[in-house]
Amino acid sequence: MRIWSWLSDPGLVIGGAIAGLVLACAVCAPWLAPYHPNDQDLLYILAPPVWAPDGAAEHLLGTDSLGRDTLSRLIFGARTAMEVAVAASFGAMALGAVLAHLAGYFGGRVDWLISRLVEIWLSFPPVVLSMLLIIGLGVGTDKVILAIVLVDWTRFCRVLRSEVQVVRGQDYVSFARLVGFAHMRVIVREIFPATLPMLITLFSLQMGISVVVEAILSFVAMGVPADVPAWGQMIADARINMFDAPWGLALPILAIFVTVLSFNLFGDGLRRVLDPRHRANGHV
Amino acid sequence: MTSHSILQIESLDIALRSGDAILTGVDLAIAPGKVLGVIGESGAGKSMIGAAIADTLPPGLAISRGSIRFDGLTLTDMTARTRRDLLGRDIGFIPQEPMTALNPTLTVGQQIGRHLARIGIANRATRDKRAIELFSEVGLDRPAQLLKSYPHQLSGGMLQRVLIAMAFASNPRLVIADEPTTALDVTIQAKVVELIARMRQAHDTSVLFITHDLQLAADVCDDVAVLYAGRIVETGRAEEIIDAPRHPYSRCLSLAAPNLDGPVAPLMILPKAMPGAVERAAMRGCAFAPRCPAADEACTRTPPPRRAVSPGHVSACHYPERTSAIAPPARRNAGDLAAPGEAAVLRAQGLGKAYRQHDWLGRVREVEALRGLDFTVREREFVGIVGESGSGKSTLTKLIVGLENVTSGTLHVVGLDRTSTPRERFFDQVQLVFQDPQSALNPRRRIGSLVTQSLECRGNGLAAKARRELAAELLAKVMLPPDAADRFPDQLSGGQKQRVNIARALCSNPRLLIADEIVSGLDVSVQAQILELLRGLREQASFSLLLISHDLAVVRHVCDRVLVMCKGEIVEQGPVEQVFGAPRHPYTMQLVAAARGRPRSDDRHAREASDLS
Amino acid sequence: MIKALLRIVARRLFAIVPVFAVVTVLVFAALRILPVDPAQMSLPPSATIEQVEAKREEMGLNKPIWQQYALWARRAVAGDLGESAQYRMPTAKVVLERLPATIELAMCALVFAVVVGVAGGILLFTVRGTALESLGMALTSVVMALPDFLLALLFILVFGVMLPLFPVNGRLDPGLEVPSHTGFLLLDSLLTGDVSIVASAISHIALPVMALGLAFSPTIVRVLHSSLINTYQQSYIRQARLRGLSDREILFGQALKNAILPVVILVGTQFGGLFGGTLLVEMIFSFPGLGNLMVKAMQTADLSVIMAIALIYCAVTLLFNSLADAAAYLLNPKLRTA
Repeated sequence: MRIWSWLSDPGLVIGGAIAGLVLACAVCAPWLAPYHPNDQDLLYILAPPVWAPDGAAEHLLGTDSLGRDTLSRLIFGARTAMEVAVAASFGAMALGAVLAHLAGYFGGRVDWLISRLVEIWLSFPPVVLSMLLIIGLGVGTDKVILAIVLVDWTRFCRVLRSEVQVVRGQDYVSFARLVGFAHMRVIVREIFPATLPMLITLFSLQMGISVVVEAILSFVAMGVPADVPAWGQMIADARINMFDAPWGLALPILAIFVTVLSFNLFGDGLRRVLDPRHRANGHV
Repeated sequence: MTSHSILQIESLDIALRSGDAILTGVDLAIAPGKVLGVIGESGAGKSMIGAAIADTLPPGLAISRGSIRFDGLTLTDMTARTRRDLLGRDIGFIPQEPMTALNPTLTVGQQIGRHLARIGIANRATRDKRAIELFSEVGLDRPAQLLKSYPHQLSGGMLQRVLIAMAFASNPRLVIADEPTTALDVTIQAKVVELIARMRQAHDTSVLFITHDLQLAADVCDDVAVLYAGRIVETGRAEEIIDAPRHPYSRCLSLAAPNLDGPVAPLMILPKAMPGAVERAAMRGCAFAPRCPAADEACTRTPPPRRAVSPGHVSACHYPERTSAIAPPARRNAGDLAAPGEAAVLRAQGLGKAYRQHDWLGRVREVEALRGLDFTVREREFVGIVGESGSGKSTLTKLIVGLENVTSGTLHVVGLDRTSTPRERFFDQVQLVFQDPQSALNPRRRIGSLVTQSLECRGNGLAAKARRELAAELLAKVMLPPDAADRFPDQLSGGQKQRVNIARALCSNPRLLIADEIVSGLDVSVQAQILELLRGLREQASFSLLLISHDLAVVRHVCDRVLVMCKGEIVEQGPVEQVFGAPRHPYTMQLVAAARGRPRSDDRHAREASDLS
Repeated sequence: MIKALLRIVARRLFAIVPVFAVVTVLVFAALRILPVDPAQMSLPPSATIEQVEAKREEMGLNKPIWQQYALWARRAVAGDLGESAQYRMPTAKVVLERLPATIELAMCALVFAVVVGVAGGILLFTVRGTALESLGMALTSVVMALPDFLLALLFILVFGVMLPLFPVNGRLDPGLEVPSHTGFLLLDSLLTGDVSIVASAISHIALPVMALGLAFSPTIVRVLHSSLINTYQQSYIRQARLRGLSDREILFGQALKNAILPVVILVGTQFGGLFGGTLLVEMIFSFPGLGNLMVKAMQTADLSVIMAIALIYCAVTLLFNSLADAAAYLLNPKLRTA
């Protein structure tokens, strides 16, 4: 019966379906893409998509200024985006969640220290911090992942910390301490299950954010290496020729938009179905 | 009488969109200057009456039949706009929780100012003057200063006075008071009730007084209507309903409440729970029949007729004459309580607790929460602690269970010094039953796992089967069916959850059990179940109990001895009968007087006499 | 009241000093990890090894890193942020020249976001329970999936390429000249009293402002909407209704003051996102502010400029956070009168 209530949430279903599709594209990219993403077809340079007046059936979504197939690059771009997003979101979640539970549960000095750390991090605009980190770390897929983890853990930490504090105030946590549960056991058995729904929700939202950050970094040529196809890179390339080939700019923008939207919808849907308070939040 | 009623409700039905009724066929009338009490437990629908009058029914609910007439106007035929215009002008409201009823971001003066502006005082200076007059009238000190205060700077009692002042500011014809004292301390309650009575008289206003408390209704009201499962089961003069009820439910309610006087009789326990809107729709006969001690088959088949049992006294029962014979079953071993042992389970000597507070300049201030407590709880002894909020009751609990540290004096728990003994020594021996089962039971654990939770971190981890058996045994102790073990807390009622809460504390066979206000949020009939359960446990007497409560009658029903706390000190202690029967400390006297309620005042009888003439 | 306000603001500002100090240490350390030799960067490519070595000595690069930091900090406090390798000018001068453009952009975007967000939140709340509410929520979802740099590119695509309504480059039409008094172009152009100049300045800043502001507004809409729903469940709103106050009085006179608090906190904590967004948006619109300078500095590894700009971004963000903090504090009488 729980599954049915999940399926009745349109945001969750639509978001989940599209997100699943993007992930599937990422996994199956080599089989789905009609061309190798870096193959240049010099007969077709800046070809428009097939439905435009001069479109060619060989390249369904057209080609870029080097004659590379846009569809193939979009599909492989999804692979890059998902690789970065899954790894980075997971890392940010792990780091943020651990610190949030420690801060929220123990309070006092631990909380003070972690809160100050978050405060310092928040004084950096996220874009600026990720670029600074890339300057320090150098470019590369793994560096992008690390940069996102180091920037976005605070997002998890801030939200989860207050969530942990709420649960910490419940009498059942005091009871567990009174009957002799050790701190770690209380955190794992009594507190973590209560914060898990929020964690999953934040993870889904972070997927979208990671996709955007990866796109930004590739856009300013501080992301993945130049031979790895990425949506941000495609945008940067297409911007030069946007008056001649607007589709080349519009399609990767659309890809990012659809991906981010799907993870946001999925995350918001999860929040609705997993959070009992939210469910009870009727209108006045 | 109908011709000059201020409020007249006729065969009012309120239903959900699905068609299930929340209120069915409600008839009420309030004569000018009278107080009508509506009594009911939670879920009976009593708050819906006020909401229906104010046109603020929750979404999904609507009036499906009947009419509400107010002062010659038929509210149910009027537009929403004209109805709203009556609110705050001709109909005033006194809320249940004064602490949340005023906007925290606006000053008291801004809020009463806006209200006075709405009821027609255009000039600001005049408004301030009038507000100060009103504040003085309700007995608030330094009214001018009060105008500049924010709500959080005032106590609950003061806020309720402000709200009462606002409710009566426009000399309304009717004031609706929805549980106006429930959230307040006992001694404040008495004063607020008195104030409402005084204001009502001074402004010549009728009052609709909604409450769950039969005793309170008896003190305050002229007439009373008893509501059960959305229907009025009995109406009549307050004294008659209390002293000679003619509906089994009214009588059961009286018998379920513990008293401060007379013998400590067993309380009436009603089986099952009040049927909800959906269950009610499927019932053909009397909604109370499944729980009624006097019901027979006819009751479940045909709805009871409403008829006058004496002039002005109406009962909706097939057998009103059977009511007086209803009595709670006698105890199995009445009054035969195990005598307390000699050994002390809990001993405090000069016990004190001070908190250090830092202000933003870093200065340290000491706040004493407890001062010089001396008391002993012996083996198998049930001791009550009474006191109002801020008396230090909860701090004491925290010291005993070790959630806070002692700062002066000594505290011996189960023979061990609390400060110098490692925490582990106390885990099995001292248990706490928390006040709010909603917060005390992890909603993600099943009941079976919850009641045996304390075994989880012992070395002798029980096998799953043994654990299940133990859970069933514990549930039986608190009279819950064994299949409850597989449920989650949210699937149980409030009373059932509180029993799980108790069962869980009994799991490790503690020598000392501390129960912190464990019946305070419960309905009378559910409270009776818990109190009788505690009585039953006391007869077996394998542990000592420290029962913390603001309700003297509750303590009297369960405990041998009582400690009275006030502002962090014990002002009086001794056997329950002695302390409550002949209090010596002025504070205890005040508490006992407040708990006894207002004596049936002579002025009311005088007024009635003049009404007749 | 004024005194209390000043005291709280002063206290907040004082509290950010240590945080900012830590930030400078972090940025300094991050940039010193780089495999770039700042001494070599600051000299022409033809410089000899001896010249580079002498420069290293002069810049203190042979000392332990903490001494380097101390040296930098001492100079920075005196207003010396080093020399830009790219422009061969004092970094402070290069950076300060561009600062007003970015501040102007960020502030206009913030005002735009708050106006759209608050109006949208109230509107969405007043249609609660209807299909319009669901439609509005869906719209916020769509806009939330378009971060500022995508919106900027889309605007260029739509208003620059497809129907050219707005200029998409720079701050003014070529050929127009505005004497600089304040550095803020909108103010300066108003001072000229020339309508065509003002129009040109506004039309140039319009798209960047909308891209930044629109990206931030759906979050405000959502927070205000749910905050209003929460507030309306409070007992004091019910009591206000029972005193006969009209819907309008309840919304604007009672509920909004309580419901706006989470919005103030949100604007405070999320301002960094908007302010950082100026970097990309400036780059996309060739808007001559800090962001453009930063991108160029990163391409040429102009370390002292990168450092200075990074610190300015942090300082402004911190400053704004603490102002929002102070505002939240003042809006909450429970904190204020404690």
